[in-house]
Amino acid sequence: MINLKQVSCRLGEQQFLYNLQIPQGQVVAIMGASGSGKSTLLNLLAGFISTDKNTARITIGAQRIDLLEPAKRPVTSLFQEHNLFAHMSAFNNLALGIRSSLKLTDLEKQQVDEALEQVGLKGLGSRFPKELSGGQRQRVALGRALVRRKPVLLLDEPFSALDPALRQEMSALVKRLATQHQLTVLLVTHEPKDALELANSVVFVEAGRAHWSGSSSEFLQQNDRHIKAYLGQSC
Amino acid sequence: MIIPSSSKHWLWFSSISFSLVLVPLLLAMVSFAAYISQAQWLSYIFDTYTWRVVWFSWWQASLSTLISVSSAVLVARALARRQSFLGRWLLLRCFSVALVVPTIIAVFGIILLHGKYGYVNQAWSWFGGQPQSYVYGIVGILLAHVFFNLPLATRILLQRLEAINGETWRLSSQLGMTSQDLWRHIEWPHIKGVVPQLAALVFALCFTSFAIVMTLGGGPKATTIEVAIFQAIRFDFDIAKAVYLSLLQMVFCGVVLWAGLRLGRPIDIFVSNQTSAKNLRPDLKPVWGMVSDALVLALATVLVLMPLLAVVIAGINTAWFEVLFDQRLWSAFNNSLWVALSSASLSLLMACGLLLAQRHWRDHHSSLALTVEWMGSVILVVPPLVLATGLFIGLNQHVNVFAINLYIVVLVNALMGLPYMLRVLSVAYLKIDRDYGRLCSSLGVQGWHRLRQVEWPILRKPISLALALVAAMSAGDLGVVALFGSPDIQTLPLLMYQRLGSYQSDAAGVTALVLLGLCLTIFVVLERLIGGKGDQP
Repeated sequence: MINLKQVSCRLGEQQFLYNLQIPQGQVVAIMGASGSGKSTLLNLLAGFISTDKNTARITIGAQRIDLLEPAKRPVTSLFQEHNLFAHMSAFNNLALGIRSSLKLTDLEKQQVDEALEQVGLKGLGSRFPKELSGGQRQRVALGRALVRRKPVLLLDEPFSALDPALRQEMSALVKRLATQHQLTVLLVTHEPKDALELANSVVFVEAGRAHWSGSSSEFLQQNDRHIKAYLGQSC
Repeated sequence: MIIPSSSKHWLWFSSISFSLVLVPLLLAMVSFAAYISQAQWLSYIFDTYTWRVVWFSWWQASLSTLISVSSAVLVARALARRQSFLGRWLLLRCFSVALVVPTIIAVFGIILLHGKYGYVNQAWSWFGGQPQSYVYGIVGILLAHVFFNLPLATRILLQRLEAINGETWRLSSQLGMTSQDLWRHIEWPHIKGVVPQLAALVFALCFTSFAIVMTLGGGPKATTIEVAIFQAIRFDFDIAKAVYLSLLQMVFCGVVLWAGLRLGRPIDIFVSNQTSAKNLRPDLKPVWGMVSDALVLALATVLVLMPLLAVVIAGINTAWFEVLFDQRLWSAFNNSLWVALSSASLSLLMACGLLLAQRHWRDHHSSLALTVEWMGSVILVVPPLVLATGLFIGLNQHVNVFAINLYIVVLVNALMGLPYMLRVLSVAYLKIDRDYGRLCSSLGVQGWHRLRQVEWPILRKPISLALALVAAMSAGDLGVVALFGSPDIQTLPLLMYQRLGSYQSDAAGVTALVLLGLCLTIFVVLERLIGGKGDQP
């Protein structure tokens, strides 16, 4: 269970405050208008932004994480782009997830190869990012998430730059990996389709708060004014 | 570009700019060629003095480059890491000032600090030490070269480091990278592309350095080729030897710049400083990093700020009254101002004409268009003194060179500023074409309207920066003017040089302050006036 209690921060003029509970092992779609605070929610969880009040508390399972350094938190992030180091091979980009000195034991090298295989990049470890397609690059990043073995995966619109067929493929891959490794996945997306097919539930963010949460099918049937406006349905 | 493409007048404009650039270059070359037959090649080649000069040129330039670039890496990294400390603004301001400070001012400041009776020696004698004379020779030359090139190199490297995107820093903090990991995996890969060209640029600047070596190089032991060319013309009247030395100089510079070009990718000196809003680096907390950064930044500040401060202090003395009412100062002041503004305008005119021709030819005669690009680079290889020498020789047969010396100074300085002008304008102009070219055509925004509504708002910032830089550089010039200067016609740097040479230190101090004020005022006024307020759209 991921638990956010009175988690607040201020960026420029905007104030954010989250109170939220996410059951373990779920795939949750984070939805909401641009600038409503979806990415901020993920950044708070990852520790890229710190909370500004002492009353704030983020726990994952029994562990309190809001005072930890980003590297110590049990989460892995995936951004829309710039997930890879351009001057490093796919293999080394994965290896960074294990040790940043890149000095791996034979067993660890084997783990990297296995992860590459799981994301469908067997034999492509020696390629550099520029020699890979956009979809393949995101697969490398997913592979690194696997070798890091963190229970929570934070995806910030990771597939929005890909074409529809590829998106579907990647969604399927994420779903498969999430089940296989029992990951809790938070996915920022603008696609109602993602919410239905990939996610078990939806958190709708509005004006810096978690405005609504519930199951995916309920979300699309909601009568809430903000949700209808967001989905483009007339009230 | 500046002139609407639909107009026919551009052809005239372009041809005039073209001849303004080509004629002096060709004249210099032809007059050189005439002396080649007179040269006693064998005696030059076996001249031990010449080889000592060549060796010293390489030695001091290599050392200056090594020190400037490696310390710039440290300073840039520390600056990138500490985005909000108290002295950051001051340090960056000092660095900008160092880019426009005339050489002679920096030399004066360094002598005030490190001379036999300078502040360092005074402090040393407090502890009971004997005053040491170390500033004349390689030490002084290195100090001055680092003063100028450390800020330049830092600026370029800092831009590269600050261009690293936020995701990369977030990723690194999630992966728990240490400071060494960041350097190895992120920072070094980001800057290593520009290092060869940066080093080549700094090397070429130090290799051809004239005023610094002439003032701080102590006699024949510490002389560079550039100074030897000057001596051959002004003192030995051996023009053939000057031709030989100039050729040597151009070959060496060309090779180094070419090597830098082949090894790395082009650098852009004029990209505006854009800092990412928040520093996301994971290595800000360790105490050791804080201490080392503080040390590096404090040293850099001392190195750049101290000579400037010494100049300002030396300028405040009782000689004010006497110097300010001296007619010579104001005539020199007027000449310097005139040279600065004319050189900058002429340079801009040349650059616009060349780029216009380049745009016109790009579609039909691509080889001609390429020539324009080459012309910009060739001038970078030709040291100012070599060009001035060629013009001197070429014109000397027909006119009294010393009677029209200020015009030649303007012409040579304008040509010297041309590579910077071309660089700035072509980058900005290509961007306009790429980003808005089609949009403008589809909306029918053309001619005058395109110039006024689209090009001017985008180009005014880079134009103002290039103009300001060329003007300030020309105002502080003490290479070309030393070659052509006569007792009748003075400029401020020349006056300053003479006063330094005749040990009128109070008068030199006041003159230095006036010159410094002039350069900074020209720079700030041109940049604000033409660039306007606010950021580039």
